[in-house]
Amino acid sequence: MINYIRKVFKSGWAGFMRQGFLTFATALVIFIAVTLGTSLFFFQGGVSYLTKQIQDKIDISVTFKADVARDDILKIRDDLIKLSEVKKVDYISPEDAYNAFVQAHQGDQYMEALGLLSVNPFLPSLRIQTNQPSQYKQVSEYLKQDTYKDLINEVNDYKRGVMIEKLGELTKSVQLLGLSMTFFLSLIAVIITFNTLRLSIFSQKEEIEIMRLVGAKNSFIRGPFLVQGALCGFFAAILSFMISTIVLFILNKQLTSLFIGFDSLAFFKANVLAVILLQLLVGVGLGLISSYFAVRKYLRD
Amino acid sequence: MIEFKNVTKEYSPNLFKEAKVALQNVSFEVKAGEFVTLCGRSGAGKTTILKLIACEEKPSSGVVMFDDTNTLDVKKSDAHLIRQKIGFIFQDYKLLSYKTAYENIAYALEAFDFNEKLVKDEVMQVLELVGLESRANCLPKELSGGEKQRVSIARALIHRPEIILADEPTGNLDPYHTRDIIKILLKINEAGSTVILSTHSRETVNALEKRVITLENGRIIRDEEKGVFSL
Repeated sequence: MINYIRKVFKSGWAGFMRQGFLTFATALVIFIAVTLGTSLFFFQGGVSYLTKQIQDKIDISVTFKADVARDDILKIRDDLIKLSEVKKVDYISPEDAYNAFVQAHQGDQYMEALGLLSVNPFLPSLRIQTNQPSQYKQVSEYLKQDTYKDLINEVNDYKRGVMIEKLGELTKSVQLLGLSMTFFLSLIAVIITFNTLRLSIFSQKEEIEIMRLVGAKNSFIRGPFLVQGALCGFFAAILSFMISTIVLFILNKQLTSLFIGFDSLAFFKANVLAVILLQLLVGVGLGLISSYFAVRKYLRD
Repeated sequence: MIEFKNVTKEYSPNLFKEAKVALQNVSFEVKAGEFVTLCGRSGAGKTTILKLIACEEKPSSGVVMFDDTNTLDVKKSDAHLIRQKIGFIFQDYKLLSYKTAYENIAYALEAFDFNEKLVKDEVMQVLELVGLESRANCLPKELSGGEKQRVSIARALIHRPEIILADEPTGNLDPYHTRDIIKILLKINEAGSTVILSTHSRETVNALEKRVITLENGRIIRDEEKGVFSL
């Protein structure tokens, strides 16, 4: 058995080296497919990052009447935290709101208007974030119940409601688009790789015929071609990993600005093992599957 | 050893080819150690008979027996076991251009569990049998047509098959090399192997003085011991 495996690998390696240009062409096609897969992985990472960024910026702000005691508001905050839909609730005191306003509007006309007032016009409030954009509506309904009616001045979800829902839909659409693109481009990559490998195997059909005629088992004939395909995929994956790394190190600044703050290099560093595994899986998998189907044609009795 | 019982082989039509009956109700038997010549014009059915023996094709009707095995019962995954008993020789040699004569022959042994020392001994032995030991390291392009065919014969013999199927082995050769190849085939037969030779060459058939099965339009029209070319 060891001798058998050794022969298959030796023969596969010999075919890989002998094919020269066809090996290079096959590896290049797989390299493109692997790099495409890697780009889509980064694209999905970018979409998740941007979605999270946008979702973090959305919240419901509940302002309370001026005479409501801080402890009562904190009790409502505790009630809200217990809801499974709620991710985070921050209490904003009138002083905090005032300071935040001053910091945001230093020297502008709003500051002048604020200066005319002798009292702090800001009301205490709670800023609520939910786990999903679609859950804002439920939280908003919860706050409108009679228990809180006399305490709350305003639940300002009126203007944001439509935007929140649309954003939720947009997020889903972008993710669906990303998945569809991944599927569609992967399919094209498989077809192109399969055809390139078929061409490579076509040029070796005499070897297949001779091996068949001397009584070699189909698995023995197929073996070296699977090894060739896997080798093409392996080297394509390594090349893709090296080029991805170099590109990310050189163009990280430009990429971060292009993807509105998404730090691709940091994402790459955090997922380096997943990236190399994905590339090897796509590369070697494509090589193996395409070789298997390409050689099958010549092994039919 | 080989028996054809009322064998018919039809090829179904497709976009590019019309339906064709390659063999019609063919029956004959080849005993172990026999030398049989299949004689007939192109398209008479000679190659189809060889393909049916090698399980490359299945009969449309009738039975092909190989060593008491009905080839119809041979599973796809077991067809290689039948082929291991056969040595093939072709008109176009089917040698790998990038391998030397030695490597072409040794390549056929890769499918079997031989160690390198044994492979070397076996290859040199068959090269000696076909008189090419001095040309072992030549590439096919450095060999004459006759020498290429001798390499092809050596490759067919390397795994010690029970039967040799030779499909027009002298088709590309001049009379001198044809005689050479025929002599080698007779030598192989004398050593105990069964040989089935397909040819449309009058000189080859008449020089052999062996059993001749003559085919015409997929039918056997003559089957004679020590026959002659009669088309």
